[in-house]
Amino acid sequence: MKPNLLLILSLIAFTSLCDTVNQLCLKSTIDALNFKPKLNVVNILKFIFQLIIQPRIWLGLVFSLISLSVWLVVLSKTDLNFAFSADSMHYIFIALASHFVLKEKMSVHRWLGTGLIVLGIVFVSMS
Amino acid sequence: MFKKKVTLKILLLLIASDVLETAVHFCFKKSTLGSTFGQVTDLATMVVFLKTVFASPFLWAGLLVVATVFILWSMILSKIDLSVAVPIASFSYILVPLVSIIFLHEQIAALRWVGVFFVLAGVVLVSLSSKERTEQVK
Repeated sequence: MKPNLLLILSLIAFTSLCDTVNQLCLKSTIDALNFKPKLNVVNILKFIFQLIIQPRIWLGLVFSLISLSVWLVVLSKTDLNFAFSADSMHYIFIALASHFVLKEKMSVHRWLGTGLIVLGIVFVSMS
Repeated sequence: MFKKKVTLKILLLLIASDVLETAVHFCFKKSTLGSTFGQVTDLATMVVFLKTVFASPFLWAGLLVVATVFILWSMILSKIDLSVAVPIASFSYILVPLVSIIFLHEQIAALRWVGVFFVLAGVVLVSLSSKERTEQVK
């Protein structure tokens, strides 16, 4: 394993964690808003307005800005196709966060699928 | 109960966010290619690096698409579970390597495609588990 690979993987893990926190912020805010399912222009505008006055949305934005900055560093150091596949480690974080924080139900299949994703990242990193 | 059901409209929104997501990653990679800078080793060099990258039009194009994807995602997440939405929006695992080969002239080894396949298989499995749950609800 090249020494650089470990650093790049750690940086990608860091951006993935920031992304997960961002997704948690979005999902928990949107759940709290209880948006009505009918989609039209007025409803969407209302929805956006309701969203941008929520502090947690802005917290999510801060995390995604941190994530973006580190992500750009990663991209400057490595190929896009590698970085993007390795970035799928956010599935693992999101699965864990959905289970433990949002209390969404995770079936055995879903955990297995997440396991395959982990395996995929290992292969992508090996090449 | 409705929050688990993936309708055609939601699927189309997810595919749109997929294509746009791929465009974002392409733009971001492009923005780090044209610039000249040293190694990022600490906060100071990181600031210099970010200044250079943020001067690239590709970065701003990417950010514009990010904003669009953000709105799309907000709509999608109000309809379905996060752990269902994220896996379905993952056709970009094929799109990004293809764009990398065609437009960025990156080399992709066979083992890496195997890895991509495993990631995709995992994603399909996760999506199937959501279908199973919808049927149980019925």
